Amino acid sequence: MNVSMSLSLPHGNRRELPGDLAMWFFILAELLVFGIFFLAYAFARTRNVELFNASQLELDKLSGAINTVLLISSSYFVVRAVDKIRHGLARACAHWLLAAMALGGAFLVVKLVEFADKFEAGISLSTNTFFMFYLGLGFFHFMHVVLGMVILGAVALKAWKGGYSAADHVGVETGASYWHMVDLVWIVLFPLIYVLR
Amino acid sequence: MKYKSQAVAKPYFIAAIALFIGQISFGLIMGWQYVVGDFLFPAIPFNVARMVHTNLLIVWLLFGFMGAAYYLIPEESERELYSPKLALAMFWIFLAAGTATILGYLFVPYATLAEMTGNNLLATMGREFLEQPLPTKVGIVIVALAMLFNLSMTVLKGRKTTINLVMLLGLWGLAIFFLFSFYNPANIVKDKFYWWWVVHLWVEGVWELIMGAMLAFVLIKVTGVDREVIEKWLYVIIAMALITGLIGMGHHYYWIGTPEYWLWWGSVFSALEPIPFFMMTVFAFNMVNRRRREHPNKAAVLWALGTGVMAFLGAGVWGFLHTLAPVNFYTHGSQITAAHGHMAFYGAYVMVVLTMISYTMPIMRGREANSPLAQVVEMWSFWLMTISIVFITLFLTAAGILQIWLQRIAEEPMSFMATQDQVSLFYWMREFTGFIFLTGLLLYVASFFIKGKPATAK
Amino acid sequence: MTRTATFQWLILMALTAAAVGLSRSGLSDSALLVPVLLMTLIKGRIVIDRFMALQGVAAPWRWIVLGWLLLVLSLIGYAFHMTQT
Repeated sequence: MNVSMSLSLPHGNRRELPGDLAMWFFILAELLVFGIFFLAYAFARTRNVELFNASQLELDKLSGAINTVLLISSSYFVVRAVDKIRHGLARACAHWLLAAMALGGAFLVVKLVEFADKFEAGISLSTNTFFMFYLGLGFFHFMHVVLGMVILGAVALKAWKGGYSAADHVGVETGASYWHMVDLVWIVLFPLIYVLR
Repeated sequence: MKYKSQAVAKPYFIAAIALFIGQISFGLIMGWQYVVGDFLFPAIPFNVARMVHTNLLIVWLLFGFMGAAYYLIPEESERELYSPKLALAMFWIFLAAGTATILGYLFVPYATLAEMTGNNLLATMGREFLEQPLPTKVGIVIVALAMLFNLSMTVLKGRKTTINLVMLLGLWGLAIFFLFSFYNPANIVKDKFYWWWVVHLWVEGVWELIMGAMLAFVLIKVTGVDREVIEKWLYVIIAMALITGLIGMGHHYYWIGTPEYWLWWGSVFSALEPIPFFMMTVFAFNMVNRRRREHPNKAAVLWALGTGVMAFLGAGVWGFLHTLAPVNFYTHGSQITAAHGHMAFYGAYVMVVLTMISYTMPIMRGREANSPLAQVVEMWSFWLMTISIVFITLFLTAAGILQIWLQRIAEEPMSFMATQDQVSLFYWMREFTGFIFLTGLLLYVASFFIKGKPATAK
Repeated sequence: MTRTATFQWLILMALTAAAVGLSRSGLSDSALLVPVLLMTLIKGRIVIDRFMALQGVAAPWRWIVLGWLLLVLSLIGYAFHMTQT
């Protein structure tokens, strides 16, 4: 029984965790950090509702919505990529992953334009508590999109070179799980900071 | 020992243990001065004893890390060290510089020492942990660079494993962050800001890489568990350590004049710093439970497990106690900090160095493990020192809580010195426990001199 | 498999559009809170169970991640509800 020795749980049947166990530890830690920050935002707001509501009006809700659409769609593309590799279609898998990365790149561009706009208006981390959270959380999530794209890129490259097969593609699932986490976090972040008041 | 050149680790470890004894001696002197203010006055003032105590700690741990690196890197790279002669030369330079510096602290007034050593050329002295005269600081940089050159060349020419790459990354980080000790801006906020980058970005950041690599190395050796499994854990642990540690540093920026957002970022990320330590504990126990062999060196296994537990308690739990900004507002710079400092340094870094020494020393002396009697004595020293540090931490925590109450919360707050009088009972108990710690340390030294037939694997 | 995923993706898009539409409909802040949080919960659940494929995975993994979502959203709801009178 070599299975119990290994930290990586191979996919095999549907009852196993998709991707590497080590990545799931990392994902849980990430969710914990974001969760704490979300709640910090929500409860810091209770002590300063007017300030938060007034500052929130200055946000560009549309670009937030566009970014939601971009991330959700890229997550969907990643699902398609995993589906392709399960059928042994390595090249098609790489194509879907590249498409997902392109949407991730578009997310970064939209976000940069949004931030540039705010910086031009003279807004910084020290403007007030609302903008501290908006810029801080936004930047922290931004870095996760960047890391996610690096991971997807590495997986796509290996897939293109034929490093995965229908039988062995834990790496694809590992990268996919991380990317879905980045998406999941944004799905909560968007309504919390842009919409709810 | 697989490679002859690994033996250069031996003098480093011997020097480390000798300086450890010095550190504890000065700790006991200070502990006494806490309750008997004029003890040894004017020969050794409190501030000098404190400086010697903390500087010796850092220096002996550095000796330990260097020795560990010189042992571990050749074995992982599967080749001899690039230049054993350079490693030995650096040992003597580092030892001479370290000894001269400590003697300078003890026998020359600090201001005169600063004048003598060119502090007027480039003012770097007078800050906590960075008290070393300029020539010593330059010497540390030279020794570190020579070591990194030596080790990097060894790794470049040999096998690259996760363990030796993580070790090397940690050591490079150590050297790079030390450079901030030369930066001493006139603006006191900036000065404080970068001051934290030397020792504290070490202990909360790059030293955790060194510690993880050393622990992983010893665990592979004593458990026989697959390298792949251990290396995967190492990756996750160091990723967590770096993310939480580098941003968690913000918990030092609360009250020094930096922007307010550090209250949030410092609180959240430093609150997560226990996670990598917790994972190290789970990792160590998991690997030992899955062991594929019974290593005859039981003492080394005990140290490895102890490191996991004590690092989590000292660095993780006791750090978390006072890391959130609203709590730290009251506890900042109190005996709570001292409690955390003692258990964190012992649990994480002292113990990991002793783990490495415990595993490697018998091998360098030509046997896989020491005699059963020597191991029993060593394990006694483990328990004496570890239990002592737990009690020292508890007494200091009690002193800290009382201190904070009397000095910062009570209706009519007392002055600092009046408060110190009120908590002196805890200081006496701490000092008494300190002597038990010293007993443990002396037993530890004695265990090296106990002869007998080496223990063998069952 | 592909068709289900596409269907789920369309639901996610529709829910996003609905949330933005609601926020522009002129509804009061308090009337907005529960529907938007519920839509977020459904979106999160789709990503966790379908995209991450945690549905059917051995305990406790699915429940840790779903529990995270539920806990965070309900505490957010509580904090926002506190400020609405």
